[in-house]
Amino acid sequence: MTCNFYRRLVLAASIVTTATGLLAPMSAQAQGAGDRIRKIVLITWPQGVNPQAHQASQFVAQAWRQLGLEVEVRPMPWSQHIQVVWNEREKWDTTMWRMVGRPERSDPDEVVFNNYHSSTAATGFNFVGYTNPEYDKIATDQRQTPEAEKRKSLVVQAQRLLDRDQPQMFLVHPSSIKAFNKDVWVEDSIVNQSGIGIRNFWTFVRATPKGAQKQMVLNSAEPVVAVSPMYIAGAASSWVTELVWDRLARVGPDGLPQPWAAERIDWVNSTTVDVTLRAGMNWHDGRPVTIDDVIYSFEAPAMGNKVPMYRSAVNDITKVERSGERRVRFTLKTPNSAFVTATLAKINLIPKHVWDPIMKDLMNKPENAESIPNPPPIGSGPFKMVRNRGQEEIVLDRFDGHFSAPKMDRWVLRIVPNPEATLGMFRRNEINFLADYGGAPEVLEKLSKDAPQLVLKSEVDIGFEYAAFNLRRPPFSDVNFRRALSMAVDRNMLVQAAWKGYAVVSNSHVSPALKYWHDADITKIRTGLPVAREILERAGYKVVGGRLNYPDGVKETLQPN
Amino acid sequence: MRFILTRLLHSLFVLWAVVTLMFLMFRLMPGDPMAAYISEALSEESKQSIRAQFGLDRSLPEQYLLYVYNLCRGELGTSFFIKEPVWDIVMAALPNTLTLTFIGLILAYSFGVVAGAYLAWKRGSLTEGIAIPIVLGTRAAPEFWVGMILLAIFAFNLGWFPSGGAASPGAMYDSEWQRLLSADFWHHLALPVLTLALYLQGLPLLLMRSTMLDALHEEYVTMARMKGLPTRRIVLNHAARNAMLPVATAFALSMGQLVGGNVVIETVFSWPGLGRILVQAVSSSDYPLAQGAFLLVSVALIAMNLLADLLYTLLDPRVSHERRH
Repeated sequence: MTCNFYRRLVLAASIVTTATGLLAPMSAQAQGAGDRIRKIVLITWPQGVNPQAHQASQFVAQAWRQLGLEVEVRPMPWSQHIQVVWNEREKWDTTMWRMVGRPERSDPDEVVFNNYHSSTAATGFNFVGYTNPEYDKIATDQRQTPEAEKRKSLVVQAQRLLDRDQPQMFLVHPSSIKAFNKDVWVEDSIVNQSGIGIRNFWTFVRATPKGAQKQMVLNSAEPVVAVSPMYIAGAASSWVTELVWDRLARVGPDGLPQPWAAERIDWVNSTTVDVTLRAGMNWHDGRPVTIDDVIYSFEAPAMGNKVPMYRSAVNDITKVERSGERRVRFTLKTPNSAFVTATLAKINLIPKHVWDPIMKDLMNKPENAESIPNPPPIGSGPFKMVRNRGQEEIVLDRFDGHFSAPKMDRWVLRIVPNPEATLGMFRRNEINFLADYGGAPEVLEKLSKDAPQLVLKSEVDIGFEYAAFNLRRPPFSDVNFRRALSMAVDRNMLVQAAWKGYAVVSNSHVSPALKYWHDADITKIRTGLPVAREILERAGYKVVGGRLNYPDGVKETLQPN
Repeated sequence: MRFILTRLLHSLFVLWAVVTLMFLMFRLMPGDPMAAYISEALSEESKQSIRAQFGLDRSLPEQYLLYVYNLCRGELGTSFFIKEPVWDIVMAALPNTLTLTFIGLILAYSFGVVAGAYLAWKRGSLTEGIAIPIVLGTRAAPEFWVGMILLAIFAFNLGWFPSGGAASPGAMYDSEWQRLLSADFWHHLALPVLTLALYLQGLPLLLMRSTMLDALHEEYVTMARMKGLPTRRIVLNHAARNAMLPVATAFALSMGQLVGGNVVIETVFSWPGLGRILVQAVSSSDYPLAQGAFLLVSVALIAMNLLADLLYTLLDPRVSHERRH
């Protein structure tokens, strides 16, 4: 072979490569398609932390790839995950997320309003950026409607709107599996809370030791990033906060609100409620809980935007004022049928003498309350903080001065990132309450069969797992694109393959655990790749060269993040 | 004394070079050098405040001086995600890491040196034929697998040791020293240390055996035999002492490397150490925390390197003799 031959070969290859490069976009244009859609990044949980959601994200990504998208599944540690999704709202495309079942979510208002009302899109729970005046009106109306049936009808409408608009892909309502050692705890003293399971506030307060061991040792796979009455940075953080700080009301085991730090709650009219504080309550530093503290607790979250996580819960309050020796009066802007659950059972009571200097300092700074993840842990709750090492262990002691002092002496939360070690610890009684288990359910079932003192309890959660879209970033701003991506995934397959049967299909933010409010027909959706492709085709999306392109004339304006 | 001072100054120079390199790294890389300290999630006013603290709005020489000044004060910034001072986060984990690393290395090297010397002496025997593959097996086996096996046997089944953590639930101590010296701490340390020692012993054992084999063929060993000295004295006082020199260096360097590298052990045994923090910081782009932990590892490496130099002088008279002449 001569040099000339090789020169001609190289020249021919260059011509072919250049022509292909020139022709490719022409080919897309010739087919009436817009630009190729950029690579989509799906942020997810690390496998060791949440194996079910991690697995589900792989299935979801695979389905999207079959529609012609390039998808990267990107695991992130929790502290980074929450930072990106919560604080960098313009910068992510899609993320796996979960709303955990908390007692205050026993009333659907918390999720119906806070998660999707446009007022919480900038800094609150509506981090997907869903802005729909029609939804806003329904969310507001259901909050102000005292008649149960009428309110239920509005909540059902809210579910159907989200089904139509798909601001996120609801995947499943997981069945939480928790367990305890009945050699340590009186079995009947472990409380099952509707939609929450046995890991709840009432269990922690009422669990009665059987023998010499009087401390509850439970686990979390995630570290506790913050213990603050003004900021919840994850599930484990919320367990601790609930125990250290009281609230005027609490959601009971039956899912209904009941007075807690309040002795009584009396509605004067539809926008005025009097709350009488219990007598004799003290803070953990020995000082008495006063009406001024209670008033301050509801004023502080409304100061500027210093407490974004709780601000929406007090937005509806016009004023809070003393109306008696131990009585405070709340005046609302509009009637709010969920006020007791969504506000009184959510806002933590904080000592003014501790928080006034902190908030005054914050008002002079650009930071908000979330920049103080571990403020002085002075609450009035049934447990008081002994040690906070969020990466290792949290230790709380019983607060004997509490009106409902716990039966146990101590509550110890251990951070155990290794699920196998968690099971071993549980079997050896190094942990006597299994609060967080992300491993295979069948392994836990076998363990319980081999060791009958280990009692398992499973409950469909109020919460839900989902893949959130960022509606601020095209093509996720297009409802058709979102619907297609959502319908591409078979939820029943996810329940079996990712959650091993320990979940139910979801297409709503109102869990079937909330039987009265849940729309039973909402999960009757057609899913599958043909359904998704049909939606994309009708919307003008085209597959060119194996890759999904925008409709004709639409440019890709963003880079992959 | 003069030698020690010289080596110390040399080490300080290396440390200065590392610190300077870290300073320049973020300024020479593409992208915003302020990413080292300022989270994008902060408001503009917060960013300005941090810029002022670290002098990021000043000229480069001024920034450098302020950077070194802050480091000398232990001011390493605030973790982007944990939102606590980096110094506090690192110092909380450091005692656990140093204990695990140091004890693990002592065990590994003590066993490795003795076993390596013995196997060299027994070269060609059945003992050597069985032991070497076993040692190579422990060297090749993944650390997490070894850890899980030990956990399953000694913790889950036999119940001899706890399954994780650095202390019993809720254990309280008046001081950090009290905690580190408590029986509970050592009980929790046992399995992680055993795993680490099992994983590490392969290197000193094989190194010692190799250098012993060379030493045993040296003329001074032949002379010692001819003089009729006892075998034990020949092996320990003559051959092993010379063969141990490279092992001493390896020990010192391993100490420095392992300070930030025990993440696998720490995850398997839920051991609250620096390795997990470092990996988490790097994977989440928590630059202040990653930098702070990295600086600490550098300090450890440089200090151990210095120790290796000084140990060499003590162990090998030829080095001090050459220096004097």
